[in-house]
Amino acid sequence: MSVRVLFFGATADVAGKRETSIDLGGNSNVGAALESVLRDQPSLQSYKLLFSVNQEYAELDTSISDGDELAIFTPVSGG
Amino acid sequence: MDFFELISEPIDITTVARRVVPPECGATVTLDGYVRKFTKGRETLHLFYEAYEPMALKEMRKLIEQAKRDFEISNVGIVHRLGRLEIGETSVVISVAAPHRKAAFAACEWLIRELKRTVPIWKKEVYADGEVWVEGESEPPAVAGG
Repeated sequence: MSVRVLFFGATADVAGKRETSIDLGGNSNVGAALESVLRDQPSLQSYKLLFSVNQEYAELDTSISDGDELAIFTPVSGG
Repeated sequence: MDFFELISEPIDITTVARRVVPPECGATVTLDGYVRKFTKGRETLHLFYEAYEPMALKEMRKLIEQAKRDFEISNVGIVHRLGRLEIGETSVVISVAAPHRKAAFAACEWLIRELKRTVPIWKKEVYADGEVWVEGESEPPAVAGG
C-alpha cells in the first residue's frame, strides 16, 4: 500500500522536500512508516517529531491504510 | 458568528473584533499577537509562518467548539497570518464575544494557549546571521482514542 508523507517547517528543510510517497505492507502503522522515512532521511532522528494521519494527531501505534496522508513535523510554534 | 481563517495579507484587527459581536453580548476581548523584535536576547529581522492548512483549520474549529463548551461565551473569531511578517505586524488575532467580560478574558487566554500547542503552524525566525524554525515548547495534544 502507498502512503503520502508530508513535511512542514523544520522537517521539510531537513528532508529537502515537502512531500514523498512510501510503500508499506498491509496493516501498517505510523511507527513502521516512520522507520521507512528515516531510512531515507536519517537526520530527522535528531528532532522531536509529531505525527498526524489524515489531519488528526496520531501516535506511533496509530494504524494507517492505503491512501492515507501522514504528516511528520516538529512541535508547533504558531501564535 | 464564529470564524477561523488563515490569510497571507495583513490582519485588520478591528474588523475581526466587530465580526464576532452579537446583540446579546456586552464585551469582546481581542488578543493582538504580533512579531517581537527580540527573542531571548537575539534580534529578529523578520518572521515566516507556515501552516499545514487543512489540519490547522480543523484544529482551530475544535478549539472554538471546546471554548464554547467550557466558557460562557457567544462567538469566537480566530485569524492567523502566514508568510513573511515584519517586526510589529500582527500574526494572530483572537476575538471572543461574551455577555460578560470575565468569561471572554478567560476564554481568550485559553484559546491562545491551546492554539500555540495544537494548531499546526510553524514560525521561522530570521536573524542577521541565520534563521531557525522555532520548536514549540508545550507538550503536544494527547491523541483521542490513541
